[in-house]
Amino acid sequence: MDPVLQLSIRPQWDELEHAREQAVSFLRGHDFGEATVNAAEMVVCELIENATKYGSFRESAEPLSIAISVQGSTVTIEVRSPVSSADDEHLARLDRAVQWIRGFQNPFEAYLERLREVSAQSLENRESGLGLVRIAYEGQSILDFFLIDQNVLAVSAVHRGQA
Amino acid sequence: MTLQTFQQNALTLHLHDDDAEVRVTWLGRSTSREPAEFIVPVLSRAVELGRSQNKPLVLDFQAMAYMNSSTITPIIRLLGRALRTINTVRVVYRKELKWQELSFTALEVFQTADQRIEIRGV
Repeated sequence: MDPVLQLSIRPQWDELEHAREQAVSFLRGHDFGEATVNAAEMVVCELIENATKYGSFRESAEPLSIAISVQGSTVTIEVRSPVSSADDEHLARLDRAVQWIRGFQNPFEAYLERLREVSAQSLENRESGLGLVRIAYEGQSILDFFLIDQNVLAVSAVHRGQA
Repeated sequence: MTLQTFQQNALTLHLHDDDAEVRVTWLGRSTSREPAEFIVPVLSRAVELGRSQNKPLVLDFQAMAYMNSSTITPIIRLLGRALRTINTVRVVYRKELKWQELSFTALEVFQTADQRIEIRGV
């Protein structure tokens, strides 16, 4: 089976389900157990949701790209989306969030801290900032990101899977 | 007993109200961009039913296949509110599912010694 799944989708919410189904099928094809498939499925969905919400798509035809690669028991998920510039607000927020998660001994502590913060917010508040820390804790993944040519953001999550 | 069903895309919420408890049973997948718009009114109704009739509120997630973090957010905020009021809330999940175990054991941070808020894996 091919070790890499490459997907290119429109940055629209209804595209997410199609990408999720393909990701799950790809991971099952590599004989990962349900725990790994479920974890990676969540990571794929959260990364695509973030890219769709915060990417600087200038036109609707501009795609969002996803690469899922398998090397031994390691699954790497990378989602690329356009940013307006290197000082893009989304990029700055992403940087703060990743650094904040890395400041904890383990992602579980970061997740609990975020839960406490979110629980004190109004029910009507639309933002939670829970997605990335959930990837780190529940997805048991190491998050990273980098800029390509100043205008494409690549966010990756590396998960050590189980058969 | 009364039963109301609410549905949005692949997510279904059953709101049961009987002599013993108010129960919200979650089924399917929750992947909407703004799930709170659908979830919060149902949860608020359930909280109000529990509070006005002095009955515990049970949130049953055993039949959930997936939920995004935007779905978890209003649940956490509800638990935070319950901590500050007199509501009794029991969250029930399937502990044999790894994702549910990880997701819901973290909510034990809201659990209280008097079991006013209880997170229970079955």
